[in-house]
Amino acid sequence: MNAGKHAERLVIESALESGAAFDYKPNAMMPHVKVMKIGGQSIMDRGRTAVFPILEQLIKAKDKHQLLLCCGGGTRARHIYAVASDIELPTGVLAALGGYVPRQNARMLQMLLAEHGGVFMLHDDFEKLPLYFSMKCIPIMTGMPPFGYWEKPGENGRIPANRTDAGVFLTAEVLGVKRALFIKDEDGLYEDDPKKNPKAKHIPRIGVNELIARDLGDLVVERVVLTYLRAARFCHELQIINGMKPGMVTRALEGEDVGTIIYRD
Amino acid sequence: MSGFVTGDGRTHIASKLMAESLVDRRVVATTHSELEYAILPDAKLVSIGGQSIFDRGGEALRPLVEELAATRGKHRIVVGVGGGTRVRHTVSIAADLGLPLGGIAQLVGAMEEANAVMLNALLAKRGSIVMQREHFWEMPLYLENGMIPIVISIPPYHFWEPPNEGGALPTHGSDFGLFMHAEVLGMKHIIFVKDEDGLYDRDPKRHADAKLIRHTTLEAIWNDMPGDLILDRKLFEVWRSARHVERVQIVNGLKPGELTRALAGEPAGTVIERGARQ
Repeated sequence: MNAGKHAERLVIESALESGAAFDYKPNAMMPHVKVMKIGGQSIMDRGRTAVFPILEQLIKAKDKHQLLLCCGGGTRARHIYAVASDIELPTGVLAALGGYVPRQNARMLQMLLAEHGGVFMLHDDFEKLPLYFSMKCIPIMTGMPPFGYWEKPGENGRIPANRTDAGVFLTAEVLGVKRALFIKDEDGLYEDDPKKNPKAKHIPRIGVNELIARDLGDLVVERVVLTYLRAARFCHELQIINGMKPGMVTRALEGEDVGTIIYRD
Repeated sequence: MSGFVTGDGRTHIASKLMAESLVDRRVVATTHSELEYAILPDAKLVSIGGQSIFDRGGEALRPLVEELAATRGKHRIVVGVGGGTRVRHTVSIAADLGLPLGGIAQLVGAMEEANAVMLNALLAKRGSIVMQREHFWEMPLYLENGMIPIVISIPPYHFWEPPNEGGALPTHGSDFGLFMHAEVLGMKHIIFVKDEDGLYDRDPKRHADAKLIRHTTLEAIWNDMPGDLILDRKLFEVWRSARHVERVQIVNGLKPGELTRALAGEPAGTVIERGARQ
């Protein structure tokens, strides 16, 4: 409309500029990395009784597998969300505030794993992962994705939709890892809340579409992760295991289908 | 809200969310409120288009720089910049190389940053400053002193860009990023400076008979979304659950005075109003 009257756009020709279709076939960056979440409320808040046996298993596995630990928040994050939501702060501010506790937890694990190569890393260090692994280190980071102030407001409530489960899943996805591991204090998914109903039936395997169709009021992972799982190109399975049971972490790292597998169907 | 609670093997801090599942819809609903504190409600966000303005060079930019500088003492503005044709080139090459979606998202912000530096060079003597994301809370310092912070529009989703069905392109782009910037700070008004008179029912660059829409609502756009939209779909999607942004305006930056009129609250270009929340 304004061509000729005003300065022309200085354009670089490219597929996107010309509107040409391009064949997008992404490659997996680091498909062998074991991306795992260490639960906040479920593991860290229990202290040494829960944390130490898990770390022992990770130390034994570290020369065989490349381990990337991502931390959850827990009760301090809940306290922050409660206070921040009481003073009517927006979701984006809650998401930024929610970043502090998982970073603390990651630093705690780094101190515990320091003599075995534990390295604390920030999001900005992500491109140094190959270095950490080639040095036989165990990189440890927050599970929160870096969305912070840019986290979308929710339709219902002001708790950020993308928290540490989402961050762990997206970390696995961008690395091209097929299965993301979530270490919690339950064997995975149940028909009902096992903490309130001890007779609740365990679900060892379930397709993500079926799980969404069940429309459960509560879930063992953040809801948004199920949406991501459906659209993901690489990460097609979530495994949720009980880190309180001896040997579970080792078995999961060996590829055993312990706990619950939620898969892309 | 204090004191520890133990007994189930975990040490909790007493709060209304203590020991609760944050995935439980009933628990999440307890944090719902229509009220939300507006952090910087008087600031306005102005976005300078990448392709539409920056890629045209000095002839398009210089008059806008004068208009932006003239806002000092009248309006508190935060300026966002787009990346333009270099972003498209980056995405084209990165996609051809088979880089993952999050990898593509990580790359594009650099092209905007280059535009932010260029604009800052032109506006520096009038008090502009390129704002690094880590300096988010320095915004009041700049605004209080009549400075013009220039921000990167792309949101910091980076390697963690969520996958989308089928697409190679990150969906959380500049328009969305700037919208969120305004929304989280409680701003009410965003002005997108482009090279068209506003929003048309069809792409006016390709259809000579495209009709300009002077005034519309979020609801109307959402219910009947034009095929070629001048702003990202994601912006409208997030606006629907937003609390603060009331008006999104699109003006032609190639026409002198349009931005100044929009900042004064006049109906220049296209005005999109949120209307009452559902």
